[in-house]
Amino acid sequence: MPELPELNPVVHGKLRLALLSLLSGVDEAEFTWLRAKTGSTDGNLGAQLLKLEEAGYVAVEKKFVQRKPQTLYRMTEAGRAALTEYVQALKQLLGGAIGS
Amino acid sequence: MTADSEELGLNDRLSLIETMIAEGRRTTESWGWTFLLWGVAYFVAIGWSAIGNAQVAWPVTMIGASIVMAILISRTVRSRPQTTVGRAMRAIWVAMGISMFMLLMCLGISGRYDLHLFVAIVGAMLGMANATSSMILKWKMQFACAVVWWASGAVACFGNEIQTSIAFLVAIFFCQIVFGIYCMICESRKRKLGGAHA
Repeated sequence: MPELPELNPVVHGKLRLALLSLLSGVDEAEFTWLRAKTGSTDGNLGAQLLKLEEAGYVAVEKKFVQRKPQTLYRMTEAGRAALTEYVQALKQLLGGAIGS
Repeated sequence: MTADSEELGLNDRLSLIETMIAEGRRTTESWGWTFLLWGVAYFVAIGWSAIGNAQVAWPVTMIGASIVMAILISRTVRSRPQTTVGRAMRAIWVAMGISMFMLLMCLGISGRYDLHLFVAIVGAMLGMANATSSMILKWKMQFACAVVWWASGAVACFGNEIQTSIAFLVAIFFCQIVFGIYCMICESRKRKLGGAHA
């Protein structure tokens, strides 16, 4: 039996997976947009984004626009690579499950 | 967890990734109102010119419409994500707007302005911008608008003043007013679908 790939635990979290997938389709996105798209709470979203930031998968930029704070997130190259690997592993696992 | 439920979970994850990527890439920006705004601005400028003060009507209306658009954009797009497609779209329309404004203003100041030249320039530039956008977005309806603008530009080159005016008014009506309302309806439908999905 061929060895099945392991899924990256940082990417595997449902909200983190959704966040990485969202960020892969845009250049950068604001915290409020990510919150609206995922339907998550501020606290949970902040915690998951912090985990992704610590893993080096997302980069954060904080600035003021018209005197209002704005937090922008963008996916790093490492994040893109991690998501790509995760999708490949997922497909391999699914292929294995279908084949068996 | 059984093998079946694990498989379902993995399938769900793949589906989640696909949905979220599509959600991120989907143009969430609403630009239909800008077509409508500029269509109304053109009609206001034409109406004002018909009464008199043609040399004041166009610059004042165009600058006024630009200010209104800038204010509305600054209020609406702040929380939207930046996408490559969105940036490409903005680049096309901003560059077209600056080129058209500069050229028409210079023609007006130099006294070399005339209706045929004006409609030919507006038709060609709006045709170019609409065609480029439609090719990027793969949107046939917008390409039809480009064809209408090009046709109005061609009529301006060969037709008399009445034919040129009619061609210009028809192009504004269909490519700005009707297309703007159509865009707004499409965007509203997309937002509803997005809301239902979330």
